[in-house]
Amino acid sequence: MERRVLPQTQGMSRALPWRKIALGATIAVGMVAAAPLSAQAAAPAACAALQAKYPDWKGKTLVNAINPHTPGYETIDPKDPNNYIGFDIDLGEAIGECLGFKLTYKPVTFAALLTTLAAGQADIVISDIYATKERAKAADFITYSKVFDGVLVAKGNPKGINGINISMCGSAAAENTGYVEVPLIQALIPECKKAGKAEPTIQLYDNNANCIQAILAGRADTYVNDVNTVDSAVKAYPDKLEKAIAVTIPYSVGIAVPKDKPKFRDAVLAALIEVQKAGTHMELLKKWELDVNNFKEPDILTAD
Amino acid sequence: MSLFLHYLSMPYLLEGIELTLEVTALGLGGGLILGLILAGMQLSRFWVLAAIARAYTVIFRGTPLILQMVFAYDALPHIGIKLPAVLAAGLALACNEAPFIAEMLRAGVLGVDRGQVTAGQALGMTPRVLMWRVIAPQAIRTMIPAFGNEAVSALKNSSLASVVAVQELTLRSTQLASSTFDFFSIFFASGLLYLVLTFAISVIQLFVEWLLDLDRAKSLTRRRKRKFADYLPWRRVDLTTKLELTEATVADPEPVQTEPADTPPLALTREERTRRAATIARNNIAVETKDLTKSYGAQKVLGGLDLTVRVGEVVALLGPSGSGKSTLLRCINHLESWDGGTVRVGGRRLGFDDDGKLLSPRAIANERATVGVGMVFQQFNLFAHLSAKENVAGPLRWVHGMTRIDADRRATELLDRVGLSHRADALPRHLSGGQQQRVAIARALAPNPSVLLLDEPTSALDPELVNEVLEVIRRLAIDDGLTMIISTHQIRFADEVADRVAFLSGGAIIEEGPAHEVLSNPRNPLTARFLSVMETDKTPEAVR
Repeated sequence: MERRVLPQTQGMSRALPWRKIALGATIAVGMVAAAPLSAQAAAPAACAALQAKYPDWKGKTLVNAINPHTPGYETIDPKDPNNYIGFDIDLGEAIGECLGFKLTYKPVTFAALLTTLAAGQADIVISDIYATKERAKAADFITYSKVFDGVLVAKGNPKGINGINISMCGSAAAENTGYVEVPLIQALIPECKKAGKAEPTIQLYDNNANCIQAILAGRADTYVNDVNTVDSAVKAYPDKLEKAIAVTIPYSVGIAVPKDKPKFRDAVLAALIEVQKAGTHMELLKKWELDVNNFKEPDILTAD
Repeated sequence: MSLFLHYLSMPYLLEGIELTLEVTALGLGGGLILGLILAGMQLSRFWVLAAIARAYTVIFRGTPLILQMVFAYDALPHIGIKLPAVLAAGLALACNEAPFIAEMLRAGVLGVDRGQVTAGQALGMTPRVLMWRVIAPQAIRTMIPAFGNEAVSALKNSSLASVVAVQELTLRSTQLASSTFDFFSIFFASGLLYLVLTFAISVIQLFVEWLLDLDRAKSLTRRRKRKFADYLPWRRVDLTTKLELTEATVADPEPVQTEPADTPPLALTREERTRRAATIARNNIAVETKDLTKSYGAQKVLGGLDLTVRVGEVVALLGPSGSGKSTLLRCINHLESWDGGTVRVGGRRLGFDDDGKLLSPRAIANERATVGVGMVFQQFNLFAHLSAKENVAGPLRWVHGMTRIDADRRATELLDRVGLSHRADALPRHLSGGQQQRVAIARALAPNPSVLLLDEPTSALDPELVNEVLEVIRRLAIDDGLTMIISTHQIRFADEVADRVAFLSGGAIIEEGPAHEVLSNPRNPLTARFLSVMETDKTPEAVR
């Protein structure tokens, strides 16, 4: 995997004696060869054709805006914090490799993903963002994954929450600013009123980790988000958290690209199709232990 | 604990400090430059500039920094300005810091004693020299603690750059926490890193305070010099008031006033006075005011005042408080403007060009220096950050372009003349009131003025200190033949020293004439009443 090279690793190799360098090089080559998968798996011929058809991004370095607080999808590498890792990162780089561009990353809050793209401070957003008609006003989407949400609650589910329904009445839900789950929970307010129950309240946070912390600290009762995120939170705090239920949400996850660059959108779509054809997409889901049922053939979602 | 240490020493976080410092430096540096401009605009005499600066302050002080960051990063690109994240964050922080720094600068400038500014103007300093030599050195000293505050706050505010993807300490910490779930260790570690940084700023602040402390090196030859360690919070050294120091210096032996044996008797005999009056009557006119009028709003301060003073003449202005004595003096060297009438000094209309148009403050300052009108103030108005000698020598260099050697020689000579050569290196606050006033007289005399204006020179002094000052003035009048206009309440002093007294009431001269004649035989009932009141109030030690 091509990734941002660390300044300090460069410095380190300079200090090493030549024999160690030779040894290191051997190991590195071995590791590259043994790497479980790489974008080279995408059909080289098809990608070469795409690069000929869409030459504008070949050899370029593009900026990918991400909200790196979602383990499994995008976080920094705990072992090497200068790198970003996760399914989205690998998928983006596979697409980049197919079209001949490299990616650098710009970490922003979830709510700032699309504004950063619209401001031209980023070229692409691959950050587990759900493609909705509302969001399509700000960017075009290439959808690539189905959405299954998990309902995260404290161990034992003290409030008995069993989905985005009236079982949430009177509870406090932690959500990220800008998440699609926010309007879904807000839509419960009239229902709860009708049922004569208290309204659910929503606490808005800046990132996934803060939402999880809100439940751990007892400030919030639930956090509804991508099921894999919920699973990884449960894995991190098995004594304190649990997944109440998984629910289907009528959205797809999408790669966001600027509205004024339809050619780029088409290029990314074509490359994603190639990446899927080569089996890379499926391999990546397995590599990051995500549910293979998430797999979805790509579509374009625009505002009109 | 080991996790905490692991994160504390993690290169990833430590590298974040670099960006934190970059954004802070951009914010503080840019804020200082912008703040200087804003403060200058607000203090300017052009109201449009002040209004623009005010509007800027309202906008940037009144909106959250986080919005400004996002604006600089996400909104500016829409009008074609796409800055890298660090620059965008630095710009937003600078724009946000600027109004705060401007207000600090403004407070510092306005906090400098107005009297010193007036004294500087009277010495012929241009606004620029005044700012550079008198206001800034004092303002900066008072502003250091506030600057320290601002630097700490800017450093912390730089964490908001995380919202625009600057990989500084805060953003790195939150990302790390998201991927490792080690919230406590990570936030404790980054908190400690911030503390180390802000502590460093505090140390720098204290060091600069110590460096600029006027008492660090000056004049405390026998006393312990102030050390940097004195600034540590647990040391209880009085850094502000100088009582201890004053007491220490009061004990300095005042050399016996060298009263040369060949000095002529100080009071003039009747014949001498007559001869002197005859000489003066033939002299040129030094100062002339004609029909001078001035009001503060509805209150009339000067109502058509006419006064003529000839070269070598000593005129005492008498009259109750508010009778216009001070205003008249201040109009003579154009420290104040007036509504109507003319003032001529040495035949020139000070502060106006040949067509009678008002000159710029800078040009007026230059003219004051050329015409040579010295002024001594009731409150001394010595430059508080300069030694006695520098108070005299400094203006000679800055206004009259003297070399340091010449200016120092002149200052030493004048301090010797007012009997203070032994206190040349003392700061004004280490001098008694009488000593300060004598330094002020030396300062006013240094450029050899053609006229010396003294505005109640002994009114702010303790009774026992009055004589030492009157003595100096008496010598100037009698030995040097200096033209002087003195506003005073010292009736007997006026009688002895003045050739003529003018009695002011309600902004006009209601009686004037030879000093002895008017004082012993006033014709106007107001004068008579004032004199009799003064006579009963007279402090016995005021005059010898």
